[in-house]
Amino acid sequence: MKKYSIVIAILISCFSFAQDKDSTATFKKRVLDATEVDYLISYYKQDGIHSAVSGGMGSEKLTDLASNIVVSMPLNADDILTVDVGISAYTSASSSNINPFNGSGASGGGGDDDKNVTEPYGTPWLASSGASAEDQLVSINANYSHSSDSRNFIWNADVSFSNEYDYTSIGFGGGIAKLFNEKNTELSLKANAYLDQWRPIYPTELHEYSKYGSNFLNTGYFAGVTVYDESANSSTSYLPSKFEPWQTVNRNSYSLSFSFSQILTKKLQASLFFDVLQQEGMLSTPYHRIYFADKPNYYIGQTQYIPVYETAENIGVYRLADDVERLPSTRFKIPIGIRFNYYVNETLKVRTYYRYYSDDWGITAHTANIEVPFKLSDQFTVYPMYRYYTQTASKYFAPFETHLSTEEYYTSDYDLSKFSSNQYGLGASYVDIFTKAHIWKFGLKNIDFRYNHYSRSDTLEADIASMAFKFIFQ
Amino acid sequence: MNKVFGLLVVLALLSSCTAVKEYEKEYINDPEMKLAAKTTERYDVTFQVYREAAAGANGGKTGGGCGCN
Repeated sequence: MKKYSIVIAILISCFSFAQDKDSTATFKKRVLDATEVDYLISYYKQDGIHSAVSGGMGSEKLTDLASNIVVSMPLNADDILTVDVGISAYTSASSSNINPFNGSGASGGGGDDDKNVTEPYGTPWLASSGASAEDQLVSINANYSHSSDSRNFIWNADVSFSNEYDYTSIGFGGGIAKLFNEKNTELSLKANAYLDQWRPIYPTELHEYSKYGSNFLNTGYFAGVTVYDESANSSTSYLPSKFEPWQTVNRNSYSLSFSFSQILTKKLQASLFFDVLQQEGMLSTPYHRIYFADKPNYYIGQTQYIPVYETAENIGVYRLADDVERLPSTRFKIPIGIRFNYYVNETLKVRTYYRYYSDDWGITAHTANIEVPFKLSDQFTVYPMYRYYTQTASKYFAPFETHLSTEEYYTSDYDLSKFSSNQYGLGASYVDIFTKAHIWKFGLKNIDFRYNHYSRSDTLEADIASMAFKFIFQ
Repeated sequence: MNKVFGLLVVLALLSSCTAVKEYEKEYINDPEMKLAAKTTERYDVTFQVYREAAAGANGGKTGGGCGCN
């Protein structure tokens, strides 16, 4: 603590000293000359074998198409209003298996409780016809910023809203930034709060249990449906008695972000980021199934696939859950990041980033990133990039069917497991400072494209391609 | 942790040494030298936040949204 106090004292003294020397505010230039519009679009796909919806096993196939329009408007010489509107549409094999049973369906109610005459079947390895196979996320964020006459002090405030079928988020925050030392040094502080709310959807079998109680095998979805045990004999013993619907459905996140940027030489600058994040409420995902090692197994579907349940050969049987994941109602995270950007020469620059992360769920992570922009001409730049990431497992994580029913907290979500990942790709950007191409009164200033392949040590593979167009109002 | 704070001290000391003048910032003002993620990188960061436990300390969004799929 004493050490940190000394550091803070040094920082304050440096900034005070630096501030005295600042004499750059000789004239007032507009912070933003004209309205700018960014149009962004992205396509993401992934596949893996550790679906959290199926208890840490099964298809993780997912595609996501996202698009945003960001409009930055100068309100006067000092103030900017930025509005960011986005929509994202996904299809997910994993999510579809909230209700894994084809030809039937009771998950979440909502009018899909009609029963089919054929025996229902499903598999963790393929998408079902469940309604939860796809969803859309819409979001809007508005940010207002004001710069002082000297341009050495900036404050901003923002509000945000996002919504998807089972989740709504409302956020607000604000920050200040101070530039010192002839704008060689910048110190900023930002605070944000997100007040989120779940509308929980539970796996079909648990939803029916919570709706009809201990007689649920004879009512609702399960009436007339045969449940099998591990030996493929019909059974009426399935009872997920540990399952209880969540009572608290809010998830609040609070963050305090500190950043310090410094021009070190004419060709080198660095930035340090330090965040403190606190989350409270329902931090579990209500449709992530758990299968306990000390509970018998029960299935719905085609019994010939029971012996190969854990392989992709299973195309017709689904195991009924014992519970959903249970995680603590608080989480405290501390990430610290640092960037170094170096101008080698007119053709070549090097952008680097490192982050250390730790939280009280037992996860420690390291992230290292390098990007090397290579200028081909005044208009074209290409930038190869590489990112390495590694994390330890959460103390609440265990693989498929290894948790015990006596535990208080449990998850089989492999996003909380121990793994490392490699991400590599290539970007390209086009700049036209004269904005010769036009759409109506907007001149095209910049096009940026990037593609990355992501490979995780637990076999998850993903690809993402993004594109951005920047227009200037003329 | 101590190393990071050590680095902070070094940066702080450097900040009070010599300042690069405005007319000397030609290299620093190059668009590729920005100390922030690129516009298109936001989607990379979003999926990384969903697929990995670590988040934050990159100047970006620090919360909100589900990221459950």
